[in-house]
Amino acid sequence: MSEIVLTARDLTRHYDVSQGLFKPHATVRALNGVSFELEAGKTLAVVGESGCGKSTLARALTLIEEPSSGSLKIAGQEVTGATKDQRKQLRKDVQMVFQSPYASLNPRQKIGDQLGEPLLINTKLSAAERREKVQAMMKQVGLRPEHYQRYPHMFSGGQRQRIALARAMMLQPKVLVADEPTSALDVSIQAQVLNLFMDLQQEFNTGYVFISHNLAVVRHVADTVLVMYLGRPAEMGPKEEIYNRPLHPYTQALLSATPTIHPDPSKPKIKIVGELPNPLNPPSGCAFHKRCPYATERCVAQVPELRTVDNRQVACHYAEQFVV
Amino acid sequence: MPLLEINNLNVRFGDATATPVVDGLDLAVDKGEVLAIVGESGSGKSVTMMALMGLIDHPGIVTADSLNFDGKDMLKLSSRQRRQIVGKDLSMVFQDPMTALNPSYTVGFQIQEVLRAHLGMSGRAARQRALELLKKVEIPGAEQRLDAYPHQLSGGMSQRVAIAMAIAGEPKLLIADEPTTALDVTIQAQIMDLLLALQKEQDMALVLITHDLAVVAETAQRVCVMYAGQAVEVGQVPGLFDVPAHPYSEALLAAIPEHSMGAARLSTLPGIVPGRYDRPSGCLLSPRCPYVQEKCRQQRPALDPKTQSLARCFFPLNQEVA
Repeated sequence: MSEIVLTARDLTRHYDVSQGLFKPHATVRALNGVSFELEAGKTLAVVGESGCGKSTLARALTLIEEPSSGSLKIAGQEVTGATKDQRKQLRKDVQMVFQSPYASLNPRQKIGDQLGEPLLINTKLSAAERREKVQAMMKQVGLRPEHYQRYPHMFSGGQRQRIALARAMMLQPKVLVADEPTSALDVSIQAQVLNLFMDLQQEFNTGYVFISHNLAVVRHVADTVLVMYLGRPAEMGPKEEIYNRPLHPYTQALLSATPTIHPDPSKPKIKIVGELPNPLNPPSGCAFHKRCPYATERCVAQVPELRTVDNRQVACHYAEQFVV
Repeated sequence: MPLLEINNLNVRFGDATATPVVDGLDLAVDKGEVLAIVGESGSGKSVTMMALMGLIDHPGIVTADSLNFDGKDMLKLSSRQRRQIVGKDLSMVFQDPMTALNPSYTVGFQIQEVLRAHLGMSGRAARQRALELLKKVEIPGAEQRLDAYPHQLSGGMSQRVAIAMAIAGEPKLLIADEPTTALDVTIQAQIMDLLLALQKEQDMALVLITHDLAVVAETAQRVCVMYAGQAVEVGQVPGLFDVPAHPYSEALLAAIPEHSMGAARLSTLPGIVPGRYDRPSGCLLSPRCPYVQEKCRQQRPALDPKTQSLARCFFPLNQEVA
């Protein structure tokens, strides 16, 4: 087993929401007890619909926000309760690629300078050494040397995402968090960028946390899949297990709702009704029970705990019944 | 006679010498048919439909041999005549439901506006009809939603309202421009089901503009693949997906992660779509095409019938030897 680069234990993040001057504050449990381990060179994919806590998780992992409770270890070092200096050191090991390459690059800074900035801040390399490293990285992500002097507006979306990825990889982080990195791109460009992600992972043995709502993309990149619903993990396990035999009704519905190139008319689609419930006022018991076709009284009353069933973890009272 | 017939449509921005954004497009849509237009950003999918609806403003120039909808040439109509058709017989659902609705008016008012303008309904009758439409698009608690403002609705609900407005005039052709791109998968499935159910029920034609090939495979009867402003292949749906004749269709299908089960790398087409100023003189795909030959670099192919579909290629793929 290779080195574990990221460990989360019961990670939560709650937000206080004001509902008006004289009303009590409400709490949104955006992240409600998420645990996982990530090995170097492996990919954990986080899937779920908007509002399920994917991006909150990304913000917690990249130290943008502090988790409300729980423990987070990056390369074996505890993050919660770390001093400011320690956190600064830790940030070198976790980098992020954002969804929109149009918003994540500084329009007034040359590409070469943007790529060199992580080195300028975090290392004591000379200007010439930095330039050399930047040029090497640019070559690796398929940018030409003359692009060094250009500004972001001179690049297409796919090229910008390459630049964003190059910038994240400059310090050779142990963990890369990618939040929907290809959802703003066309299919053929998406394929190029995904290939680049895979190549760089092999080269640097980086652990990826890959956040996406596109299950076809996740199936291509992931080793482990974590399905989230309303801030809680619904199901987590090895990719093949989850895709071949989903045990949580939500995972089943998600997979069934995903359109495919080869539709099979003999397989009826699982229709789930309704939308994601209001996170300010989540349903009792299992958060999914209002949309679940199999819900019983037990689901209304009792929150299902995450437990191990058939090689993966699943939070459903009746998971065993779906094992064929 | 087809419901919609487009012959040699060209759209340019700037002057008459500018590179066309839509380049000699021929397309026909029959009554009650579901046609999908797929292509990457900038391939001219949306501009084509905007041109049809007369939504292209200065400095855009629209020319066509004919742009017939329901027996009328849309290019020859006055604005007043066109306004009577657009929104009634020909209507559109846009990509982002959050910006398609006016934030200052209630949902009910906005639906009734269509009924007042196109059907001459007013007062209680209009409100009653608006309520029926909301029920038809399966909005829960339709009665209360009538007085809701767009910001009180989720993305999926807003898209349902936009669809209710689009079908209020019982259109003969509904254009849906990336109707589910901004929505989550489970909501996407609900909205696509709804659109198809309405299409069947009202026997209207549906033109689905999308970049998601999987959505096309599940919904459309016919598909038109566009590349850099040209239709490169037009064919029946299962057929084109199984045996694409044009190298670009093949490359698009191969680039989908679903197709590369287990493979470490996705197959890609090198390079990017040619821009305004670097159009090749031959076939537009020639700089990126893996099967390119000398003839492709010099001449532009026309959209010709091949065994399974119409394709714009000198050396089409998957052709049985006759």
